[in-house]
Amino acid sequence: MNNTGANIVVFTCNWDGLSCIEAAAQKGLSYPASVKIVRVSCLSRVHSGLILKAFELGTNGVMLLGCNPGGCHFEIDPGLIEREYEKTRNILGLLGLQEKRLALIRLPAGDGPGFVKQVNDFIAGIEQTEPATSR
Amino acid sequence: MQQNIEREIKDTNIRLCLDCGKCTVVCPVAQYDPAFNPRLIAQRRLSQNSRGSRDETIWSCLNCYMCVERCNYHVKFPRFIQALRAESLSEGTQIQCSHGGAMQTMMRLMTREGIKQKRLNWLPQDVELSGQSDTLFFVGCAPYFDVLFKDLGVNTLEGVKGALKLLNRAQIPFNIIADERCCGRDLLLQGDRKGFAALAKANVEEFTRHGIKRIITNCPECYYTLKVDYHNTFGGTGIEVMHLTQVIAPLVQSGKLSLGKLEKKVTYQDPCTLGRCSRIFDEPRRVLGAVSGLKLVEMEQSREKALCCGATSWLQCGAVNRQIQRQRFTQAEASGAEILVTACPKCQIHLTCAQKSSDGKAARIEIRDLASLAAQSLD
Repeated sequence: MNNTGANIVVFTCNWDGLSCIEAAAQKGLSYPASVKIVRVSCLSRVHSGLILKAFELGTNGVMLLGCNPGGCHFEIDPGLIEREYEKTRNILGLLGLQEKRLALIRLPAGDGPGFVKQVNDFIAGIEQTEPATSR
Repeated sequence: MQQNIEREIKDTNIRLCLDCGKCTVVCPVAQYDPAFNPRLIAQRRLSQNSRGSRDETIWSCLNCYMCVERCNYHVKFPRFIQALRAESLSEGTQIQCSHGGAMQTMMRLMTREGIKQKRLNWLPQDVELSGQSDTLFFVGCAPYFDVLFKDLGVNTLEGVKGALKLLNRAQIPFNIIADERCCGRDLLLQGDRKGFAALAKANVEEFTRHGIKRIITNCPECYYTLKVDYHNTFGGTGIEVMHLTQVIAPLVQSGKLSLGKLEKKVTYQDPCTLGRCSRIFDEPRRVLGAVSGLKLVEMEQSREKALCCGATSWLQCGAVNRQIQRQRFTQAEASGAEILVTACPKCQIHLTCAQKSSDGKAARIEIRDLASLAAQSLD
């Protein structure tokens, strides 16, 4: 298992998003142990308050993992997460914590290798930048 | 904590309460929520010999100071309720914050050491700053508000830009600092004294580093906090704090600054923190009065009796708050004004939110910031 210093929280939807993580596990693909998965019923449940709270609690980056557009399990995707993602990115920018610490990733169901690549790229991107001010 | 409460009981004059119930009669929350009663909150706490009770109603107080205004003995119920909130938080109570707690989290993130905010991208190029000036314009959280409340279409930075334009026109030199933090008022009101103290310390250190002697701000909450709460926390900061209207009103009266023309009928919402808390009632009206063509009409409840915008410190926001806001809109419409002018970005946000989310019966009155309106007249 890879080791990394970056603490990452992945908010994932219970459906296509989680299926990618489960597929990665079934295929024995590894990704850093410091990645913490938080399963939610739908990404629309996640709002700027929750994302910022993760940063307050000391995470170095937050990834939002959801289904491809049009693939929502609940059929209607009100687009709330795009709105919250944009808002929170701007807030992180204002706080000087860098926008790139937040990513919105959409993958088709069961794409294990896709998830591992995305999460590794995300961590590499964060580690390249100077570390966030610690708590 | 028990000792703290004893001190608060003394400082807030709680024992002078005569049980007359006038605080409850004028309280906007009690009007719609019979369970909320400032007098009984105090009584319940006083009758306890030990701490540990969880009074849920303490989180509904708007800190509007209407009760203090009416009380014959000026019993400071809001401040006592703040102390009870601090006590409750220290016992591990989880509170319900509006907006998913994003505001409180942002404030706590600002307390991190070595944080380098990038909060001045909005600054118009034509604003003249004086790097050497010992006068600071304290922007407040408007850059953050405009991001978080983009969906509502509120533009609180317009008020800030208006304020800067007025100061430039009045030839008052000032500087802006890139790393000011939130003043911390909302954390203080909700009982997070540690969070407030961290923000206050960071701000005062920035002020000292830049040699600030005077602060001008357009936000009533920042004004009161920097002037009163910082003073109480640090035993005096040696910095003079002024609200924008206190700077502009004398200049327009003496003719040193002349505002332009705007043919509008407006009414003015006294923000609780500027009015009842800080006793600034006349200055905003004088500024509005100096705009030629502008007709100011008063609402049924104004000045000392002005109704709160209905929400505070990013805490609860529910049916009761909406009813208060609806009542305020009814009063604003009855005044016949086209524009509801306020001098507080938070009133602007809360009232706009109430207007947008209502069931189609919302008042169509335009909501504007005083500084942005006065600056518009200069164009």
